[in-house]
Amino acid sequence: MKKSVLITLPNFDDVTTYLSIFSKEIILNCQKNQIKIKCLEKEKVTSINTTNIIKKLDCKMIIFNGHGSPKSIRGHKNEKLISLGENDYLLNNRITYARSCWALLELGKKCVEGNKGCFIGYKIPFMFIIDNTRITNPIKDNIAKIFFDTSNLVPIGLIKGHTAKESNENSKRSMLKAINKALTNNDKDSHAIAQILWNNYISQGVVGDANEQL
Amino acid sequence: MKGEKDSKQKIELDDDIKQLVITRIEAQMSPHLRLSIGEGGSLGINEMIKHIKDEDQIGKQIITSHLEFIKAQASGALISALNSVE
Repeated sequence: MKKSVLITLPNFDDVTTYLSIFSKEIILNCQKNQIKIKCLEKEKVTSINTTNIIKKLDCKMIIFNGHGSPKSIRGHKNEKLISLGENDYLLNNRITYARSCWALLELGKKCVEGNKGCFIGYKIPFMFIIDNTRITNPIKDNIAKIFFDTSNLVPIGLIKGHTAKESNENSKRSMLKAINKALTNNDKDSHAIAQILWNNYISQGVVGDANEQL
Repeated sequence: MKGEKDSKQKIELDDDIKQLVITRIEAQMSPHLRLSIGEGGSLGINEMIKHIKDEDQIGKQIITSHLEFIKAQASGALISALNSVE
């Protein structure tokens, strides 16, 4: 297995647009740390492409952005990329971070059973808040940035050589710091920001071998 | 008879919870903000309230998120977690 990364970047609705745009920081960190990264973008995020790339490049780490369910992780226009009981074996022995709703609940647990892999994800929906005045230029959305800066610390921690456990804990600590900051600001939106950060804090977790490193 | 009364109380409680969450949303979210929640897409205040009133899956998830935060505040779990990073 190679010390390289595959990242999916679907972009067909508001949610996937934001997930992909705010993944730029992850890609830059790979480049900075001289770790090979393959970006699977937009309409190329299909089941066949994902399967072929995982098999061909044999990447140690896979980062999924997109919609999800307890039994699947989705790609372009919600095409199922990984499905429980069908091709979850593709994630065996790898480090997976899925910024997808629910996937930790069943799929995440199943794909690390009996192997050295680990899976970091969310057991309920991953949520974030968008500033509608920035929707045409999401990268300038300082509200959405709070949710992505904190969750990005999972893959960035792994890229920098930390274990899955350390990366997950560091990301969750940053969520708590962001909640603290929001509640201290005490403006109209700060309570809503804190509440959604708490949603992500309680739902983000790691299963499998948490001592795995890239 | 008692069952009917319990059932009525349950419905009233559910309505109270829905109203509580709707009030929190109206008080705590600026009109220019939208909540992104999975396949539900990004929702403005009125869309969030509609999902809650319709009691669909997205509405239930929004309610759960509010209740989890309220519980964390009431039980001290939130403050304890926040103190752990200071």
